[in-house]
Amino acid sequence: MIILQILINGLLLGAFYALIGIGFSLVWGVTNIINLSHGAIALLGAYLTFFLFQTFRLDPFLSIPVSFIAMFSFGYLLQRYLMNFVVKAQIFMLLILTFGLEIFLVNFMTTFFSADFRSVTPSYAGNSLVLGSIVIPYIRLAVFSICVIIAVAMALFLDKTWPGKAIKATSLDIEASMMSGINPAKIYALTFALGSGLAGVSGTLLTLTQAFSPSIAGGLTLRAFIVSILGGLGRIEGALIGGLLLGVLETFSSYLIGESYKNAIAFGLMVLVLIVKPSGLMGRKYYAEVKH
Amino acid sequence: MKRVAIILTALVFLAFQGISHADEIWFGAALSLTGKLAKEGNLVKNGYELWKETVNKKGGIKIGGKNYKVSVRYYDDESDPNRGAKLVEKLITEDKIKLILGPYGSESVFATSAITEKYGAIMVQGGAAADKLYTRGFKNLFGIYTVATEYMDDTLEMLKDKSPKPETVAIVYSNDLFSAQVAQGAKASAEKYGYKIVFYQDYPKGTQDLSTVIVNIKGKNPDIILGCGHFQDTVIIVKQLKDYKVNPRALAFSVGPTLSDFVESLKGDSENVMGSAQWTSTLKYKDPVFGSNQEFVKAYKAKYNEDPNYHSAGGASAAVIFQKAIEKAGTKDDISKIREALSGFNEEIIYGKIKFDKTGKVIGKGMPVIQIQKGAQRTVFPEGVAESKAVYPKPQWK
Repeated sequence: MIILQILINGLLLGAFYALIGIGFSLVWGVTNIINLSHGAIALLGAYLTFFLFQTFRLDPFLSIPVSFIAMFSFGYLLQRYLMNFVVKAQIFMLLILTFGLEIFLVNFMTTFFSADFRSVTPSYAGNSLVLGSIVIPYIRLAVFSICVIIAVAMALFLDKTWPGKAIKATSLDIEASMMSGINPAKIYALTFALGSGLAGVSGTLLTLTQAFSPSIAGGLTLRAFIVSILGGLGRIEGALIGGLLLGVLETFSSYLIGESYKNAIAFGLMVLVLIVKPSGLMGRKYYAEVKH
Repeated sequence: MKRVAIILTALVFLAFQGISHADEIWFGAALSLTGKLAKEGNLVKNGYELWKETVNKKGGIKIGGKNYKVSVRYYDDESDPNRGAKLVEKLITEDKIKLILGPYGSESVFATSAITEKYGAIMVQGGAAADKLYTRGFKNLFGIYTVATEYMDDTLEMLKDKSPKPETVAIVYSNDLFSAQVAQGAKASAEKYGYKIVFYQDYPKGTQDLSTVIVNIKGKNPDIILGCGHFQDTVIIVKQLKDYKVNPRALAFSVGPTLSDFVESLKGDSENVMGSAQWTSTLKYKDPVFGSNQEFVKAYKAKYNEDPNYHSAGGASAAVIFQKAIEKAGTKDDISKIREALSGFNEEIIYGKIKFDKTGKVIGKGMPVIQIQKGAQRTVFPEGVAESKAVYPKPQWK
């Protein structure tokens, strides 16, 4: 029975990792930007949720659209008026730029929101669905459902709508997409905006399950990075599978080997995937590979 | 040539006028006033300054029937222990000050106390809790923070007399040096008081999920759960204990409940959680300089417009102890006499009843236990200075 509980815990945790990973993987896959400020952008969403809860008692789940729209706009502006200028430069320039942005955002948050740890605890926190000896916390179940819904919605958006198809076309072949009347600058901005919006949502959900401060930004980006590598770049279902896998892997290695080894095992698997299947478990040639 | 000589003489006079002033006693401190430890460093300085003001208002430090005004020379170590060490060397060799008030942080105290020891100066510190400070055989370092390995001792001592008597303990800790030492100490204390340790495991620092650990603990059904980590993990442990309906009779942490963000972050779920504190503003101790802990708190609020915490109280306490030892020794220059007075120190001050062992480490002060009751920190142990009775057993999660 305990194995089933550990499996459920892993899936619930993994869905959250997947949500952080989806936006990161999308941006990386389409625009070839490894956005090192992804975690910091997620934290902006977390702070927005925290202050809305503190000031207006707005339920964190209701602030999801607020975070999404706010971070979507932020991401759009960032890409349009900052990143697009260097997007054709070498990948190192982009790394340095997003790294600088991360440092800026973290220090901005430390200055204005303080380095204190925050968390949001609504009145219904800690309620759980109890099925015999299996416990499923409602909040984590809700986080799981939202992550899956968002992943499906994103996949549909990319497959069925014009902007979604344009995003895929741009990631596939930028010259050909330009010839079909797609403006890559706008598509890049849209992609980055979507990635940031999703980061904002994951930040909102983060406030419910743990404590956060500006200092955890790097840790979040790292999770997104592992998820993207595991799942394969630019694919929504890849990030979902990668996230769930990471969650289950963490809880099982914690159960079978020991809590303090779980990070080492997660990184070990990432290295293994990079050696055996560098495009990620779900990666295809059609989709983004690491471009040069 | 003559002009140079005059200027030099003038400079020498200028440099020494503050220090060689007959009716003054000089202390020195190299603290973190900027950098990552700036917040704590400035709080400790606040404690020193309030003490200086209070003592000088009463006429100063009395040595052999004569009153000396207190002056403190501060330097900013920019949160760099190596810089702190250089500045303490400067205090001793250039400023000729041998009475050193400690900085904040174990690393800074570790580095600077090596310099005071080397030059035969003396340090009293209220800002560091590492055990390793006292294993170097130093003679001239005295510290008033209860050390890491004794953090959870009082909590376990208090709980052993409760009924229904708790029998089993689960300990989880973050795998950084400080938390690991706290956990080792907690384990030793638990064995000393006759508890059975049913779970003892570490987790990576800054983890985002502890569900497996919680599920494992649930399987052991311990009476007491002790968490030795940092604020972030403490919040996760409380949230996930509630998620998984784990109901120990007592839940205590080394770090977390004493910080004001704890109740803010966890709201009702923080209720009845216990924590260990170096000092709390509600302890009912007397003090030879401030009168009592209550009066210290009042004076601090009046001067700084905020509540003191254990950092500022630690600074003030270290200074008070220094002062009393100097008065008892009857000298401000003979370091060995001052050391003797510190070794034999046995007085009640705002931080508690302070005594030192041979290594200069405070003994018997303990860690007052606080519990969150109705959204506020309440001191529940030791009984003589407690504000209210501990709620035990902890009610089940709602």
